Amino acid sequence: MLLKDQAGLEALRSGLIAGPKPTRRLWVCGGPGCLASGAAKIQEALVREAKGQGLNFEIEFRADLTGCLGLCEKGPLVGVEPEGFLLEKVALADCPELVFETLRHGRPIERLLAARDRFKSHPFYQPQVRQITRRFGQTVPGSLTDYLKTGGYKALGLALTTLSPAEVSLMVERSDLRGRGGGGFPAGRKWASCRLAPGSVKYVLANGDEGDPGAFMNRSLMEGDPFSVIEGMTLGAYAVGASKGFIYVRHEYPLSVERLNRAIQSAEKSGLLGRNILGGSFGFSLEIVEGGGAFVCGESSALMASVEGREGQPRVKYVRSTEKGLWEAPTLLQNVETWANVPLIVENGHEWFKGQGTSQNPGTKVFCLVGQVRRSGLVEMPLGSAIRKLVFDVGGGTGAGRSFKAVQIGGPSGGCLPDSALDLPLDFDNLSSAGAIMGSGGLIVMDDLSCMVDVARYFTGFLMGESCGKCSPCREGLTLLYRILDALCQGRGRSGDTQKLKKLATLLSKTALCGLGQSAANPLLSTLRYFEAEYLEHENEGFCRAGRCQGLFWPRIDQELCSGCGLCRKACPAQAISGQKNKPHKIDLANCLSCGACLSVCRFGAAKAARKDS
Amino acid sequence: MPHTLPKVTGTIDGLKFEVSPGTTLLEAAKTLGITIPTLCHHPGLPPDGNCRLCLVESGKKLLPSCVFPLRESGGAFSTQSPMVFEARAFVVTLLLSRAPKDKNLLKLAEVYGAQADPLLSDGEDGCLRCARCVRACRAGGSEAIALIGRSRERKVAGPFFEPPIDCVGCLACARSCPTGVIAFGEEPRSIWGRDFDLVKCPRCGRPIGTPEELKRAGLTDPLCPDCRRREFSASLLELPEASFTGY
Repeated sequence: MLLKDQAGLEALRSGLIAGPKPTRRLWVCGGPGCLASGAAKIQEALVREAKGQGLNFEIEFRADLTGCLGLCEKGPLVGVEPEGFLLEKVALADCPELVFETLRHGRPIERLLAARDRFKSHPFYQPQVRQITRRFGQTVPGSLTDYLKTGGYKALGLALTTLSPAEVSLMVERSDLRGRGGGGFPAGRKWASCRLAPGSVKYVLANGDEGDPGAFMNRSLMEGDPFSVIEGMTLGAYAVGASKGFIYVRHEYPLSVERLNRAIQSAEKSGLLGRNILGGSFGFSLEIVEGGGAFVCGESSALMASVEGREGQPRVKYVRSTEKGLWEAPTLLQNVETWANVPLIVENGHEWFKGQGTSQNPGTKVFCLVGQVRRSGLVEMPLGSAIRKLVFDVGGGTGAGRSFKAVQIGGPSGGCLPDSALDLPLDFDNLSSAGAIMGSGGLIVMDDLSCMVDVARYFTGFLMGESCGKCSPCREGLTLLYRILDALCQGRGRSGDTQKLKKLATLLSKTALCGLGQSAANPLLSTLRYFEAEYLEHENEGFCRAGRCQGLFWPRIDQELCSGCGLCRKACPAQAISGQKNKPHKIDLANCLSCGACLSVCRFGAAKAARKDS
Repeated sequence: MPHTLPKVTGTIDGLKFEVSPGTTLLEAAKTLGITIPTLCHHPGLPPDGNCRLCLVESGKKLLPSCVFPLRESGGAFSTQSPMVFEARAFVVTLLLSRAPKDKNLLKLAEVYGAQADPLLSDGEDGCLRCARCVRACRAGGSEAIALIGRSRERKVAGPFFEPPIDCVGCLACARSCPTGVIAFGEEPRSIWGRDFDLVKCPRCGRPIGTPEELKRAGLTDPLCPDCRRREFSASLLELPEASFTGY
């Protein structure tokens, strides 16, 4: 139905809200993790089973896939409405019981029950503020009906009827919203600059080229609430005077493309995109551009080159893209998460927005908590929350027998922070002064089995492969850094390597052409800053204390701590471990490959890495 | 009166410069007689700023002087600071791994005390990836070659690493190459694995260019530039004296 004005929009909304509701709804998590472990099949099975048990679809029940419910570690997850149960690790075999017990009688299945009140008291959810991700678990992604029911397009209706473009821009400026893509540049400054830039053709652009290993927040957003990005961009276009926008989506995210496309089509049909939006004179159309699979295309000038159809490479430029961007026209480029914040600001006002987070860093941020934590997943926290809160309260800390070592923040060009930085508030400024970056919000937790030299090697290797190769420091320099790190990890390090790395990494950050190259040394510099001792051990003693670099340690079993569980004995590929059940085990070093398998399976911290000569 | 923008002023190595806005730092240095070493820069081609040799310091930051436009007065730049020296030594070290025998590069290595790193000795193909050839090709009106691939695998080639079909055999790429690594034959003409015919001047017999090159340039005159000039001068002699008044 074509909406002709704001009144029509609000009438439709109240009609939808007042409309009939099924007695009970099951929300099957449709986040990347749960989908990978079979959530789509579970949703189908639930519908089939419920129909088979004689339940009326739409009247007595519904079961849909929704956005990421967050607790990926325990997926597939299923939320139950109206009771508010959250069920974890649901398998296909559980579906008949789930339909009978939960869907028909409103009783949870105890063995699957994660929480009785969904997102409230569970330790994973309790510290969170679900603002950007609020629709995950209560809407079908890409359904305009669900989006409207949950307050969608209120902001746009409000803006088009009561606010001038300048006023919308001013709201964003006053909100002190900072770009969620990495650098934390004040969004309002970009908006104002683009609005005031001369030119009749302007563009708005969304960066959805999320390429960091271990990051899926942008993906979750595009897949879980595509309309929030679209509405945000529509508001941005209205504010700066653009009539065309592009969403640049990573090629590896076909589901994001599908859901965004579906959302764009239904918005067009309803008069919320296209010419004469809500019957007024403002028109805006949106197109999706799929990336070609280069990490560097997340960099703004490379991204724009790619949208224009040229090779995705950064350019040296001394003019802001808000003045000369896409096809030399003023362009407002923001990360998809930044865009998703815009409707909230316009609807609730900048004062409301500042109610979360800190004065310099207002609002919330979506993080991906992964690595060696008990509860990994998608987390939304107010900016300025302590890292400790995220890693230990939300994530539940590291696994049994292991201790926290570092958290890698901000993707491959971010940095590793040690436990002394755990009380640091997670915000743009604090992170960058500690040697990391917010990046797009990936947090990889590492325990004492992670070797920091190896970690630096991994990220440097990733960036070496993704370097576009345009400027010599990044193209040749990263390879040189990688090779030195590789030599250290293999025990072929040379005297002075640590100092050499330090010098080269600093030079790389000063001489590279684009932001990617300038930050490419961050994993190295931050691990050098906090874990230099480990580098020196690799260099001088050929010792890896984490027991990660093969051949640079002997595993030892602490006879006091060993419980004799036998896990290491089973894990050892060389059958070098012997011992009786419930008695301390021993390693025969003559057969040991120094692979570290025993270290990683031990749950009592009994297997340890020792120096080879000890 | 033509409208003139106020000049931009500042200092380079303590010397005052005054240039029109938009002038690059490299050009401004030249007006003061200060030479900044360059590799990817070519005065006839659009700047790219990729080799990072021409970095100069400004307030603890390094700027690529070949692309940095001077817009505001008051800047103080240094082309000789320790930081600049270190950065250039770093760049030369890295580039030496590509062209360890190049004379220019070896001269620079001496100036900046740089040495090739043995860890990078597996990529010695003589090419600096400076894209001067690619830019020269584009400036001439073709896009026959490009830098293909990324990271250290990146190299100059035709599409699909085949002899480029859009190549007109003008040799602009080879002539703009700072290390002279692009192999070509002048006469008979060959480059990038392709052979070209040469159109010869009917008068003096010297080659003018390849047919593809002349076609791209829209040249229909059969004479070479020298003979054309001679012919034109001769035609002037036949004109009556009166035609030259006013010269």
